[in-house]
Amino acid sequence: MEESEDVPKDFIELKSEKLSVDEVSELVVSPYCGAVSLFIGTTRNNFEGKKVIHLEYEAYSSMAETEIKKICRDVRQKWPSVKHIAVHHRLGVVPITEASVIIAVSSPHRAESLEAVMYCINTLKASVPIWKKEIYEDEYSWKENKECFWANSEK
Amino acid sequence: QVSVLYFARSAELAGLRCETLSVPREITSLQLWEEIVKVHPRLALIRDQVVFAVRQEYVLLGDQLLVLEPGDEVAIIPPISGG
Repeated sequence: MEESEDVPKDFIELKSEKLSVDEVSELVVSPYCGAVSLFIGTTRNNFEGKKVIHLEYEAYSSMAETEIKKICRDVRQKWPSVKHIAVHHRLGVVPITEASVIIAVSSPHRAESLEAVMYCINTLKASVPIWKKEIYEDEYSWKENKECFWANSEK
Repeated sequence: QVSVLYFARSAELAGLRCETLSVPREITSLQLWEEIVKVHPRLALIRDQVVFAVRQEYVLLGDQLLVLEPGDEVAIIPPISGG
């Protein structure tokens, strides 16, 4: 591909393998961009005093990809200078401290990519059909994002 | 006949992830929920916390009239927790 053809691209992937920050940032790097901003969501080892053993994610995969594409489209409307967007989300078992989601955005200057990354993760939490189960020592819990408008407040 | 998909807590309560259901072609989203609960009564536990995704568009449980085609995907969507 010639350098002059740096067509903006969205890279969306849901997969059960370990996510790679190097791989995701390399997807969005561009000679026209001076900024690559990244968000990595990692697994915490505790929730309300309970020890978290690991997380398990499941997804309505086809709709999740469609919703993430909508987010990318919105990003490009709000920040037209954004070049490439990559969203990788892990499914299945995610051990503590490993990444469950990595979002990378490139733009010529840093303000747009920083704002776009924040928008992506906030909107993903509100609209993408992916579910997280927290596994504790003797029980588990399906989590609910506070951004989800159809969740009740936790009992 | 539509394909009903169950996820997360709703899959645990229904005991399965996917099935075909015969429903009227025109039906409100609330009526559709009630049809599904007839088959899986334990789903009533989460009635206040779910929405549908019909042909991959979110639909609240209520008076909205759905026009369903054979083979359409209807998914039960408990509160999401991605990211």
